[in-house]
Amino acid sequence: MSSSTALPYTDTKPQGSADFYFATNATFRFLLRRLGAEGWRSYLEQLGRGYFAPVNRQWREGGLGAVARYWREFFAAEPGAVVDVEERPDRVEVHVRECPAIKHLRAAAREIVPEYCQHCYWLGCARAGEAGLTMRLHGGNGACRHTFARAGAALPPQVRQDIVEVRS
Amino acid sequence: MIGCYDFCGHYEWTFAWLERAGGPELLRDYWREAIALDSQRHAAELIQREGIEGMKKYWGHTLVEESPSLGFTITAAVDRFRIDMHDCPSKGFLVRNGLEQHRDYCDHCMGWVGPMMRDAGYVVDHEHNHRGQCWWEYRAPSAPPAAAAAGANDVRARPEWLAADAKLDRYEGATSPDEKRS
Repeated sequence: MSSSTALPYTDTKPQGSADFYFATNATFRFLLRRLGAEGWRSYLEQLGRGYFAPVNRQWREGGLGAVARYWREFFAAEPGAVVDVEERPDRVEVHVRECPAIKHLRAAAREIVPEYCQHCYWLGCARAGEAGLTMRLHGGNGACRHTFARAGAALPPQVRQDIVEVRS
Repeated sequence: MIGCYDFCGHYEWTFAWLERAGGPELLRDYWREAIALDSQRHAAELIQREGIEGMKKYWGHTLVEESPSLGFTITAAVDRFRIDMHDCPSKGFLVRNGLEQHRDYCDHCMGWVGPMMRDAGYVVDHEHNHRGQCWWEYRAPSAPPAAAAAGANDVRARPEWLAADAKLDRYEGATSPDEKRS
């Protein structure tokens, strides 16, 4: 991983193509239909531990500063994202004012998988766990808050109802 | 969150995961059901409705968005549509980042484009060299295969097309990744 960027994999373009969100949404729909919710969750958890291993390692070694830097650079490369990243002593809060994926899917009148926002939780938990952190998600349907915290932050348990279903 | 910036990376990872989870059949179904019929349904609708004119519109837009440096050429004739990919932005992303989980990432294009073309009444002639270079011709099944319509744009004229470590995979009149001739 280059020290000049917190992103593990880099492209020659500054931002990705938003139409790829169509494929992510369609992938979730396929996995939920063919493998069920548990299969989808297993996919996300393995993706989080495997594909994202370089980031998880960076978070484990760099702590919350590395987490904050990653999310700032991550959302800078996502077209249409409106996001603030707040770094506190025991946690990083990622305030997603406008989710780029939900915004683009909605603008294109795509049928969005209702469980779409849960992917951030299952993926985020797997990645945080690898880095010795805890993850919580609150909100969804286009705006949410991700929290990545040290174990000592004593976050309240994740309540499933805190993750809002997406309306197309 | 799964982003679009590094889409090709987790897309390729997903191919390998699906094949482990459900064999090649699940991966074939994924390319057809999730990509051809769902994600890229706008392409399918356009090409079914407008034929070669629809191909020009779809790839004219999507290739410019994915490859602003124009590492490709498009050649259209009355009876066929051709793409010569000189520097694939998708495979290039994987090569530059050292990502290789699936045995042949390049098969995904035939995996979704093949069924889409079949549904629109076309077949596909195609070769890829696993180095980010390939060519495609979409034509009616009754049209002669692989005309040299690209002229000077033909990717096969490049010296690296048949470089020492290049391995060609070929399809002729195909609509499925199972019709590969290596």
